Amino acid sequence: MEYLGIVFQPIALFTIFLGTVAGVAIGGMPGLTATMAVGLLVPFTYTMDPTMGLMLLGGIYCGAMYGGSIPAILLNTPGTPAAVATAIEGFPMSQKGKAGLALKVSVVASFVGGSFSVLILLMFAPMLAQQALHFGPAETFLLALMGLAGIISIADENSSLIKALIAGLLGMIIAIVGTDDMSGSLRYTMGYVELIDGVDFMPALIGLFSMIQMLELAGIRKKHEIDTSTLHKKQKSDPLPKGISKHIALGSATGTVIGVLPGEGATIAAFISYNISKRISKTKELFGKGNPEGIAAAESGNNGCVGGSLVPTLTLGIPGNSVAAALMGAFIIHGMIPGPDLFNEYADHTYPFIISLFIANLVFLGVGLTVAPYLARIALIPPAILVPVVSAFAVLGSYALNNSVFDIYLMIAFAVFGLILKKLGFSLEALILGLILGPIAEGGFTQGMIIGKGSPWIFFESPIAKVMWVIILLLLLPPLYSYFKHTTLVKAPDAD
Amino acid sequence: MLRKTLFSGLILSIFMALPAMAEYPSKPITVIVPSKAGGSTDRTARMITEVAKMQNKGFEFVIKDIPGSGGQKGFEAISRAKPDGYTIGLVFTPQLVAHIVSKRAKYTLDSFHVIGNVAQDPAIVVVPKDSDIKSLADLAKKAKKSALTVAVNGIGSDDFLAAKAFEAQAGVKFNLLPTKGSTEQKAGILGGHVDAAFMNLSQMIAQHKAGDAHIIALLSEERNENLPDIKTSKEQGYEVYMTATRGVVAPAKVDAKILAKLDEILAKVVASDEFKAKAKKGSIYLLPKTGADYLDYLKSLQADTQAVYDKAPW
Repeated sequence: MEYLGIVFQPIALFTIFLGTVAGVAIGGMPGLTATMAVGLLVPFTYTMDPTMGLMLLGGIYCGAMYGGSIPAILLNTPGTPAAVATAIEGFPMSQKGKAGLALKVSVVASFVGGSFSVLILLMFAPMLAQQALHFGPAETFLLALMGLAGIISIADENSSLIKALIAGLLGMIIAIVGTDDMSGSLRYTMGYVELIDGVDFMPALIGLFSMIQMLELAGIRKKHEIDTSTLHKKQKSDPLPKGISKHIALGSATGTVIGVLPGEGATIAAFISYNISKRISKTKELFGKGNPEGIAAAESGNNGCVGGSLVPTLTLGIPGNSVAAALMGAFIIHGMIPGPDLFNEYADHTYPFIISLFIANLVFLGVGLTVAPYLARIALIPPAILVPVVSAFAVLGSYALNNSVFDIYLMIAFAVFGLILKKLGFSLEALILGLILGPIAEGGFTQGMIIGKGSPWIFFESPIAKVMWVIILLLLLPPLYSYFKHTTLVKAPDAD
Repeated sequence: MLRKTLFSGLILSIFMALPAMAEYPSKPITVIVPSKAGGSTDRTARMITEVAKMQNKGFEFVIKDIPGSGGQKGFEAISRAKPDGYTIGLVFTPQLVAHIVSKRAKYTLDSFHVIGNVAQDPAIVVVPKDSDIKSLADLAKKAKKSALTVAVNGIGSDDFLAAKAFEAQAGVKFNLLPTKGSTEQKAGILGGHVDAAFMNLSQMIAQHKAGDAHIIALLSEERNENLPDIKTSKEQGYEVYMTATRGVVAPAKVDAKILAKLDEILAKVVASDEFKAKAKKGSIYLLPKTGADYLDYLKSLQADTQAVYDKAPW
């Protein structure tokens, strides 16, 4: 109870509010990421009261994870890679004039996913963390495979399966550039010190989505007709679609579980829950054309990672992802070393921090619901204003990631190269998925092989691995079946 | 007339130069941190500048983080900086010399004036909590029977060099598992996926104290005050020493007077009680060294690294 007292001090509430709103803005701008914001702010929390500092950073984390979905829906420019799946469904909805509803689904799903995961963090953290430890490099490889199975789900509505697979492969090939972690040798870095760490996926994301979207907007001669009539009606009266709670529940659970596991969870979680939700949906055919169910699954999935990723971070000192790693720095700077101490000796900092995450979720829910109807009008901004503003952010954001001009060129290269691919019908979502998950798969595979001393059996040994293989097959086989059925159906009339 | 003008010009320029010198610094000094914001190197830099600013009136510092490529980008930026005394930076080992040895760096040790060392993070050997390996002798004995899977943080890192040195001393060969960062090493040890790991003290001290992992040796000559009951490698009969140091350098060609001032500032910071208290709270282990001593250390480390590289380049 005393912990609640700490959280409900006016100054604490204000801190959480500030952090969350800033987080939403950061997540919404291309190039600004939660990792960067938390990393930059950690040193400043040094002079702050530890609990307030942590609340501020926690708010940013929660807000940014949700914020990424706003531009994804409105402009097809996901602010974080975890929002790419959201853009696949959200942008078509915007084009149909249903941006308000899409934003509403997104904020509600984000809220439920986020709150659920924080609840799990509060109640089961130590137990879950012990379970997560069974998850080794071999299982990491399988998790990356599960994420990559998302390529199939991106593809099958327009049956360009081969092109989506090629795009995914291309992403993985680009990801080869950089240091080979197993031997320490450099692969295709061509003497650029900037490429030693590989191709950063943020410039790629900004180039492939934000920039290309702006290039396309600028290239449209006739003004694109957006059905604006619904925008002028009252947005709040638009009820959430029926049956959406199933997809939110699914995403929340998937996101929390995947968040607990080490690795860049949010992107994988969003794609896996998007993929599963597509499999179980009664309106499969609407996926890719603006199905709110997809947004619900993806957004509850990536926000579910927030609480999940803090489980191993706080209990074992193993950060669940890069934001959690930056957050861990904030604990350490105040002498609070993650581990059991956090829940005993420093309980009066840790528990208020966890509780503050609930408030952060409430804050962005409130902000999202009240602001959404106004935000939806962003889609109406004429290209002459929108294009230069977003492009400027794209350039700034690319530079700000690593203070590197090289990343700006990289972003532009991705925009040019991506535009060509897009015009040829290749899926850029598949490409970015390959680019992000390729290295995770590679790391898991090579490390698994080393631990297994050269035997691939390690990928089938553990019970977790077996379950994961079943899920992978369930994700892959039905779409493959329908693909071949579809192609034979198409071919059949030709034969006549 | 001409001579007179020249002469007065000379006098004038001397007078112009003097106050300029006396006024150092006339603007904030940029401190390059070749690592990401919020990391331990960044935190060390901020602690140093905070105390330095308090102790020296008129000094202002701006931290500039240049993350990535194992510090190489940041080290190069320091070596390239205009040698006017307004850019200094942090370095860390063994990456600073490892990049030279692997012929990737666009700098050498001569590119820097070494101001001094500040902190260290000694290397440790850690095993899962229920492992029957209790000492370095056990580790060597078991490794002779079968190849043990041992996690190190990437090729060319301090962990890697320490593991290689141990292999050579004990006459064993590990099944080395390079990881991306200490997080994967922690997960491997806590989850029992690997037999042992070479890491740094700060990365595992909490897990050791909590009983989630077991540190079997500190790879140094002296015990560490933060964990005094852990035996050193020297006590266990192995001459394998490794530590990750974090020091401060300036570009080589900075004016000697300015360098002397910077040396003095750092020495005073590191000796102060405020700094010691900050470091203790932030889990930074201090290892003050003068510029000359630290340069000697860097040179010998470079020679050792070269020997490992020549045998098995990466």
